[in-house]
Amino acid sequence: MTTERPDDAQLSAWLDGEVEGSDCARIQAWLQEHPEDAARVRLWAADRDALRARFSSVLDEPMPESLTQTAWRRGVRANRGHWWQGVAAVALLGVGVAIGALWRGGVAREPAVAATQGWTQRAAVAHAVYAPEERHPVEVSVREGDSARQREQEQHLSRWLTRRLAVPVKLFDLRNEGFELVGGRLLPDANGPSAQLMYQDAMGQRVTVYLRKAAQEASAAFRYDRKGDLGMFYWVDGPCGYALVGPQPRERLLALAEAIAKQDPDPAKR
Amino acid sequence: MQADDVFRHQLLGVIPRLRRYARSLVFDNPAADDLVQTTLERALAHWHQFDQRRDLLVWVLSIAHNAHLDQRRRDARLSVVDPERASADQDARGGAPGVDVGLRIDLVHALARLSPEQREPLLLVSVEQLTYAECAEVLHIPVGTVMSRVSRARASLRQFLDGSDRSAVGGSRGLRRVI
Repeated sequence: MTTERPDDAQLSAWLDGEVEGSDCARIQAWLQEHPEDAARVRLWAADRDALRARFSSVLDEPMPESLTQTAWRRGVRANRGHWWQGVAAVALLGVGVAIGALWRGGVAREPAVAATQGWTQRAAVAHAVYAPEERHPVEVSVREGDSARQREQEQHLSRWLTRRLAVPVKLFDLRNEGFELVGGRLLPDANGPSAQLMYQDAMGQRVTVYLRKAAQEASAAFRYDRKGDLGMFYWVDGPCGYALVGPQPRERLLALAEAIAKQDPDPAKR
Repeated sequence: MQADDVFRHQLLGVIPRLRRYARSLVFDNPAADDLVQTTLERALAHWHQFDQRRDLLVWVLSIAHNAHLDQRRRDARLSVVDPERASADQDARGGAPGVDVGLRIDLVHALARLSPEQREPLLLVSVEQLTYAECAEVLHIPVGTVMSRVSRARASLRQFLDGSDRSAVGGSRGLRRVI
């Protein structure tokens, strides 16, 4: 019987059960008639078994407590994480140094705002890091699934952020201004968690709203700063500090900031 | 968004196999568990992206593959396998009973000499017993590439174990044939 000689890749795939039908029969026939090739495949099989034997004992080892705890830990990303350190920290460092340097000049001149400098900087960095993200711009998306699913996600996002920030977080409706909510994420701030809400217009341009529980700073009116491509309005209203960041012109950002301030969730203000 | 308890239970279920893969990839036990830890954290941070119709193990192994790549890029220590230490670790733990010590050392030596591009598909197919399609999904490469890499990995491994490359494999330890 003469058949075409199967190459090593085909023999190897045959060993792994990846060859079907007539090809499989052809290879079996070949191996029966060619003991040297058959011996080689048997050695591969022996290596495979040796590898399995070498590492299978791991399955019987007791599971380290630390791994079990990781699986059950809440708020993995906010509390600690190689994930953040590995991916975001590198980005934050680079972008943060650049943007922090840009921002410092404008804000630091006004003593009244000095205390807020740190967090507005973080708001700008967070925008620069996440707004360009195509696939993972937000942690919780409110745009996936049908409308019922979206509403459910909106409620979830609002409740979650409110609980974590310990200030009421309302998902501002900016549709009158042409912006749809994309979703939000939790971020680390100096003294606890902060939140970022992301909005997008029909052209795909994004703005982010950074929220944090105000430390001690008194309520403060809108302030504007712009450096490079990004503009920012920031203010403190009751228990919450807000920073609206985006590449839009000042008037556009102001309109958005006013729309947000009008929707202030603090019941004392209504 | 916090991962729900069902997902966490599923995740716990795949940890042993995840550990085995990490161990076969990294050799150094603490480093392997670090990789597992990172993988779990990433899985939890992205749990809502997991499609429940798919195989969680394949998804998690894919995360481990990415994390391992990141680690190799970030930290040269993890890319340099130290077989002496790996076998010392193994010997200290006693290893699997009844298995020849020389066999384990040679196997790990040989495995460590494979390029990561060959080692990963070989381990996924041989030890984790994934199909080529699953392996392709984990590694983000075409099925045909899996097929050729597994085949080349087998040939290289055999070459190292046969001692046709003796000088570099065993050093002063001397080689024993596996089979």
